[in-house]
Amino acid sequence: MTEIPANSETATSKRLSQWLFNPFRFIAGFKALCLGLVIILVSAFVGSLSSTHFDGVLDVHTGAEAPLWFFFAESVIDWLCIVVPLFFFGLIVSRSSFRIIDVLGTQALARWPYLITALVLFPDANRKVLVYLMSQLAQNTPAATIDYIDMSIFAFAMIVTILMAVWMVALMYRGYCVSCNLKGPRAIITFIVGVVGAEILSKFAVLLLADSVKVLP
Amino acid sequence: MKVLPIVCPSCNSHLKVKSLICEQCQTEIQGQYELPSLARLSADDQAFILEFIKASGSLKEMAGLLGLSYPTVRNRLDEIIERIKFAGNPEVNNGGKNR
Repeated sequence: MTEIPANSETATSKRLSQWLFNPFRFIAGFKALCLGLVIILVSAFVGSLSSTHFDGVLDVHTGAEAPLWFFFAESVIDWLCIVVPLFFFGLIVSRSSFRIIDVLGTQALARWPYLITALVLFPDANRKVLVYLMSQLAQNTPAATIDYIDMSIFAFAMIVTILMAVWMVALMYRGYCVSCNLKGPRAIITFIVGVVGAEILSKFAVLLLADSVKVLP
Repeated sequence: MKVLPIVCPSCNSHLKVKSLICEQCQTEIQGQYELPSLARLSADDQAFILEFIKASGSLKEMAGLLGLSYPTVRNRLDEIIERIKFAGNPEVNNGGKNR
C-alpha cells in the first residue's frame, strides 16, 4: 500500500515512547481488554501473596489476609468503577461516536503498572517495616525491629509505587482521550471528575464487599 | 513530485485556481476557481482518504494496514471530516456527532 507519511511512526525511539505512554495508539478494543484483564487478575494474584489490596481505583494498601477471590473482586471493581464514569462523560462531551469496548479495553490495560507495584510490594521486608512503623505509632513496647536492608527495600517499594500510580493515571488519561476522541480542557476536566468519582465509588464498593464477607482490607 | 500548494505562503489563506492549461494544445483557461474540498486537505490527509477508500471504508482494515488501533484510525477520520466540513463552510460550527 501507499506510504502515509504523517502516520508512519517509523522512528524506533518514538514508537517505544508511544508504547510506554500511549500504547492505545496501537492497541485498543478486544485485544486490550483481554490483555488488560489478564494483567488485572495476575496483579491481584501477586498482591494476594503479600496481602496487598488494590482497594480503590488508585489505592494500594497492605492489609488483612483475605480469600483469593476477594483480591480479584477488588481489582475488577476498581476497573469497572473507572469505566462507568468515563464512558458516560464520553457520551456527554465527545463529538465522535465511540465503542464501549475501547473504554473497557484501554482502562483495563492502563492498570498494568500496578502489576509492577504488586511485585515490588511482594517482599516480606515491606510488611516488616509497616509492622514496625505501626508499632512506633502505637508506641508499643517492645517495638518490632527492622534492619537497613528492610528499610531500603521498603523505601524502594514506596518510590516505585508512587511512580507506578502516576504512570497508571497518565495511561488512564491517554486511554480516555483515545477511546472517546477527546482532547483539551474537556478531556482534562471530565477525566479529573471521573477519577475522583470513581475513587469514591470504588472505595465504597470495596468496603461494602469487605463488610459483607467480614474482611478488613 | 511537486506538491500542490493549498495555502498562501504569505498570509496562510486558501489558494484558488487561476489558470488551467492543456498540455496537448497549450490552450490556457484563466479564471478564478475553488479547489475541491479534498484537494484542500493536506497531503497526509489525502493519502489517508485514498487508503480508506481502497479499504472499502473499513476502519478495522485500515487499523490493520496502518498498525494502529481502531479508535486511533477513527479519531483521525473524524478530524479529517471536521476539516472537510470547515473547508466547505468555514462558518459552520459543528455541534453534532460524526457518523
